[in-house]
Amino acid sequence: MKELTADDASLLELVDRLLNKGVVLAGEATISVAGIDLIYLGLNVMLTAVETLEKAQERRAS
Amino acid sequence: MTLLAHAIAAAPPASLSAGGLRGRPLAWSEAAAGLGLWSTEWTPDMKLERPDALEHHRLVERICAAQPCLPVRFGTAFPSVDAARASLDKRAEALRAALARVAGKSEIALTLLWREPPAREVTLPAAGPGRRYMEARRAEFTFREARRARAESLVERLTAELAIERPLVWHETCTSASVAVSLAVLVPTERAHERKAELTRIAASFGDVVAVVNGPWPPYTFAGVE
Repeated sequence: MKELTADDASLLELVDRLLNKGVVLAGEATISVAGIDLIYLGLNVMLTAVETLEKAQERRAS
Repeated sequence: MTLLAHAIAAAPPASLSAGGLRGRPLAWSEAAAGLGLWSTEWTPDMKLERPDALEHHRLVERICAAQPCLPVRFGTAFPSVDAARASLDKRAEALRAALARVAGKSEIALTLLWREPPAREVTLPAAGPGRRYMEARRAEFTFREARRARAESLVERLTAELAIERPLVWHETCTSASVAVSLAVLVPTERAHERKAELTRIAASFGDVVAVVNGPWPPYTFAGVE
């Protein structure tokens, strides 16, 4: 397991806030998110959800 | 035209420069309830990348510096201005209450990282594999519970020494093997640097953790609407 450095922790805390905190508004469109480091379980869950949506959209399109 | 949301604020909008994410136009969409949404005019085929998340953060900081605002979760988008307005109107009362709660306040973030890695496996050479397994499980459980109790006691001390009201503190403990505490406090913006220094001083007195203090940031953690 990689040791978490102070810099990692700062980035992790900020990205966690951007993706998991803040106001959640209903009725939004879906925009894909790519290239964000998977450094935190919360991000993994979030990005997995986005990937699932993308796959569902691809299936619908095909 | 899709709108990539950044923050909600009360009308009238502050005077901000026109640049949004990746230099695209920054737009203000005003809802009937006296609230508005700051967003970037976007196209759905543009993928969001990691630099966009950080630029969204800088935009939210800029908006919050100009007027009280509620940061919107990164990646939230609306297919039209009407859709954005409808979403704000639907929750106007709760959004206004949340805006009042965070107006003039900023968030300071504190992460406490354990200095020592998790304890290694217990060795019992004379024991059979079943006993060794059970002893190892027991040791792991005891260690984890002790760390959780210690992390909670750190939060208690921080909150007491900062003399801050409970609703203005959010925390989680032991979210991973490295993290003891992840904590956020909502403080008056004009005292944010002073409060950050206090938090740093208190956290530095704990021998078994390394403190990482960030902010002041927009009030991400306290912008939630029930």
